[in-house]
Amino acid sequence: MIARLTRIAVATLTMITLSGCVTARMQDNREGFTGISEGESVVIMARSYHLGNKTEDKYLTCVEQALARGSEGLRVIPHREFVDSLFPWFEPRTAPAETKGLSKLMSRPGVAERINDKGVRYIIWLDGDTERVAGGGSLSCAAGPGGGGCFGFAWWQNDADYNASVWDLKGLESAGSVTADVSGTSFLPALVVPIPLIARTQNAACKGLADQLKTFIVADPTT
Amino acid sequence: MTATRRTTLALLATLTLSACGASVELDSPTFPTPLVEPIDMHVGLRLSDDMYDFWYEEDVLGKETWSVDMGDANAMMFKQLFGHMFTQVTHLEEDDNPADWPIDALVETNIDKFEFSVPQQTGNDAYAIWIRYRLKVYDPAGDVIGNWAVSAYGKSEKGGIGSGDNAMENAALLAMRDAAALMIMKLDRETGISRLAKGNADDETQPAVTKAANETEDAA
Repeated sequence: MIARLTRIAVATLTMITLSGCVTARMQDNREGFTGISEGESVVIMARSYHLGNKTEDKYLTCVEQALARGSEGLRVIPHREFVDSLFPWFEPRTAPAETKGLSKLMSRPGVAERINDKGVRYIIWLDGDTERVAGGGSLSCAAGPGGGGCFGFAWWQNDADYNASVWDLKGLESAGSVTADVSGTSFLPALVVPIPLIARTQNAACKGLADQLKTFIVADPTT
Repeated sequence: MTATRRTTLALLATLTLSACGASVELDSPTFPTPLVEPIDMHVGLRLSDDMYDFWYEEDVLGKETWSVDMGDANAMMFKQLFGHMFTQVTHLEEDDNPADWPIDALVETNIDKFEFSVPQQTGNDAYAIWIRYRLKVYDPAGDVIGNWAVSAYGKSEKGGIGSGDNAMENAALLAMRDAAALMIMKLDRETGISRLAKGNADDETQPAVTKAANETEDAA
């Protein structure tokens, strides 16, 4: 009985260890002082697909939710609400690509007022995506009158590379950037029953980037 | 044939058909109010029939038939947009004579070209739509002063924000918003329509929309 329980415990630990097969590296590059006051908010935007960016919508939503979560969560304006309220100046075609376009944007009729009304202090531009970079193995399944099953082993590796550029709308300048470089390998061994050991690469990149962004925006390096 | 058998066959046929294609229908989309100051002029807007009832169908890789029914979404977009871009807009029907109206300019629009792509074609999760609108601007004498092709693009992922299961519908909406943004930025620069505003020839003050377009071009 004890031996059986030990086997189950070892198998469970192995699965947990394997499913957590993700390596992550978060870095930030500070260009100016940051900080955020009560009532100030941030907006997360994806760089334009007109520029070839492929950041997934679900990743953007994940970062929005992760930034707002917790007792120290930031006030996040949903990006769609922000884009609609400033139509057409943050559409994929018209959104400023560099901070030097900010002063002209703010001088347009109604733009500065609308941004002030929403209390937006920072715009965070996401760039990057998650891609499958490698994979292999072989898995086959069969079924017959007496039952069915799978046999084999497959694996694949996903890389999530994202960059978040932080624009400070108070000083109309770049505050810096945060990058997330995450690699995860998933396994699918099958001996009659397939056991998926999935590496949640994109999720790790989302949580890691959001945590780093929180620190980057809230923390003042001078204190 | 018994009723049960007929029902079963009908069900099977429906399942088979639905597995071989998809249909997208835009249901009264709304567009945000643009942050622009209108050009002070009276414009006549004449939309072609396809703007009120646009439907497109295409076989994708010979496997699926996709149909996109935009209904009157394009007409709604143009009416709303022009209502914000100009101080006065009169909607003209095909039979209306522009000379009967005290307008400074007549704008005629139609859909020149429509294309889409689905994940099966591109190998990613994105649905994309390209729409090319044609805008012709006439002066009060009936002469063409501008002829502009507005090429708009919208892309949406399956399961993305606001798209739900209707990524193609969302791509169509984004393409229309892209066209609206493009027209706000460049309509005057491309067609010179504000020159037709009464007294504008001697007026050194440019309309806000023109200024916006010029500033953007300068910044670029």
